[in-house]
Amino acid sequence: MYKLLLCWRYLKTRYLAMACIVSVMLGVATLIVVNSVMSGFSTKLRERLRAMQSDVSIESFGMEGFADPHGKMEKIRQDPFLGPRVEAMTATMEVFAMLQYSWPNGERVSRPVKLVGVNADERAETGGFSEFLVLHKDNPSFALPENLRKRFLADEERFLKQLAPVEPPKLLPPDELPSPAPPQVEIKIPEGIILGNLIASIRRKTSEDHPDKKREEVYFLNPGDTVVLFTVSGAKMKPVDARFVVVDYFKSEMSEYDSNFVFVPLPYLQHLRTMGDRVTSIHVKLKDYRTDARQVVDALEHLFPGEMLRVQTWEQKQGPLLAAIDIEKGILNVLLFLIIAVAGFGILAIFSMIVAEKTRDIGVLKALGASNGGVMKIFLGYGLLLGIVGASFGTILGVLISDNINAVEKFLSNITGGDIFNRDLYYFDKIPTNLEISMLVSVNLGAIGIAVVFSILPALRAALLHPVRALRYE
Amino acid sequence: MMEANPLVCAVNLHKTYRRNADRVEVLRGLDLEVHEGEFISVLGASGSGKSTLLHLLGTLDRPDEGAIQFKGRRIDNLPSQERDRLRNQTFGFIFQFYHLLPELNTVENTLLPQMIAHGAWSWWWNRGEIRKRALELLDRVGLSHRLKHRPRELSGGEMQRAAIARALVNRPRVLLADEPTGNLDSANGQHIIRLLRELNRQEGLTIVMVTHNLDLVADTDRVVRLVEGRIEADPNAAAAFDTAMASK
Repeated sequence: MYKLLLCWRYLKTRYLAMACIVSVMLGVATLIVVNSVMSGFSTKLRERLRAMQSDVSIESFGMEGFADPHGKMEKIRQDPFLGPRVEAMTATMEVFAMLQYSWPNGERVSRPVKLVGVNADERAETGGFSEFLVLHKDNPSFALPENLRKRFLADEERFLKQLAPVEPPKLLPPDELPSPAPPQVEIKIPEGIILGNLIASIRRKTSEDHPDKKREEVYFLNPGDTVVLFTVSGAKMKPVDARFVVVDYFKSEMSEYDSNFVFVPLPYLQHLRTMGDRVTSIHVKLKDYRTDARQVVDALEHLFPGEMLRVQTWEQKQGPLLAAIDIEKGILNVLLFLIIAVAGFGILAIFSMIVAEKTRDIGVLKALGASNGGVMKIFLGYGLLLGIVGASFGTILGVLISDNINAVEKFLSNITGGDIFNRDLYYFDKIPTNLEISMLVSVNLGAIGIAVVFSILPALRAALLHPVRALRYE
Repeated sequence: MMEANPLVCAVNLHKTYRRNADRVEVLRGLDLEVHEGEFISVLGASGSGKSTLLHLLGTLDRPDEGAIQFKGRRIDNLPSQERDRLRNQTFGFIFQFYHLLPELNTVENTLLPQMIAHGAWSWWWNRGEIRKRALELLDRVGLSHRLKHRPRELSGGEMQRAAIARALVNRPRVLLADEPTGNLDSANGQHIIRLLRELNRQEGLTIVMVTHNLDLVADTDRVVRLVEGRIEADPNAAAAFDTAMASK
């Protein structure tokens, strides 16, 4: 009982101990804020990666792809283990290409892109496609809407009329046959193309003076505009090209995807690359990813023996990136815990001073019958109490900052005059945060543990003081 | 008429303090018997080992040689836990500089030995009774108007009276007082001695008091003198000491 009372009184009366509380508090708050922001980034990234990827993918190792995707998909459906577990499948072809288009000032620009041939309906069923379309989320399609079709035809006719008039043919002698009628120019409507949002637009600040400094997308490639794609054919690797009309944008909010991906109809891409029915991957959506993923991957690997195919879950596919985030988070946590360790050394120093100051009182306690263990528990309890109070205040502060991180960032940006969080770089409008209970618990336990561990030495010193020497201490 | 068997008995006590190469032999074969209900004064010059004797009797320290018995049972070689319990339950200490804990008020300081004796649950269940005992003692020593005061808000005499209440709260068998009036003026000193005498007579409390003040020993049952680490053999030692001091 006296231990509790003395711990509490020491906490209330020793203002030096406030330094320990503040250092633990700042350490805990820092850990919580950094962890919540990192976790927010990680969760957001994971969500977007997850949304973009099918559950399981079967891929070829090269751009030439593999033949008979429909046969393979049918084989999967017929498999007694795989069939009931598969919800949807689609074949796609992915290949690098060059995209050429015109700036509003007429200047031509080319840029490398990742060209993906998909069947829009099937791809929508496996997820990670239609929900990211900007214009036609409910009806993903490469077909030109009627208004775009008319606009395209009108543009083409205007273009043809602008061509230099052809010299009329010289009249032939009457005994000769009449010349054939001049060939009709047929306007062929190109296939539709869905462009990554960042390919078709740039992000600009709405206004320098705008309080939020919000950025908006300004599109320079609009629906109905034409672009040209250059890629290579299948086996012979010959360059091929085709014109496409922009029908939609793909906006996943993953800058890597939005600035690289373009989607075109799969049959047309197969035709363009003279690849027959070959595709580079089959995307599989499972009914229950959590339970079945691993077994499905194993089963698929056994289903196509001898074929050079790579079967992976989305997590395996993104493994290096996800692992890098986890490693980064782990290392950062270790480094940040050093802050609390520094606070721990503060506790050690301050406790040693308090033990020295309290030497005579320790002697009195022993004279009154307090055991060595009892005296030790007073100082360990004091450390525990400091840890609990510091960690509690730190948790409150950390949670408050995490919840208002954007306001804090705005405030700091205003003070420093620069962007603390570059929204163009991260492509998030707001700093994502994610406060996990497990993280809060482990940070608190860690901080309290460090406070207790660093109070062991002074507590031990207090416990081992000889009562007579302590009573005579001056 | 004294009892045949002493309550506390020190036999051939030796104690030497060592600091680097220096050796100070404080007690050199001291023998002392303290009977139940006795009020003994221990006189001696500074550094004669009076406080050391008190510390050894109260199990705060161990003798280098010799033995200390309580009711015939040797206590100087007991394990730490039992010695702690003896200090808490059997011996009460009063110090020259009061040694009240500055963080606690008068009642809390008085309750401290009870808090040490009880675990949290036991304390919780018996807190009413324990507190009642402390308040009675504080009333008896005349501090019922200073219950919530911290030591820094009390006078020297009040602090010593609070220390006496603290020493008595666990109903000890022996009170060990180390110059309890050494830091007080004569009026307060007399008051404390009267209080101790009262406790001795009314409650049968055994008291061993170390003092320098010859004016105070008159009220005690027996005076022993420490000379060269031993109790003066002469039964009239106190009187001789008194005369010697008076002639100075």
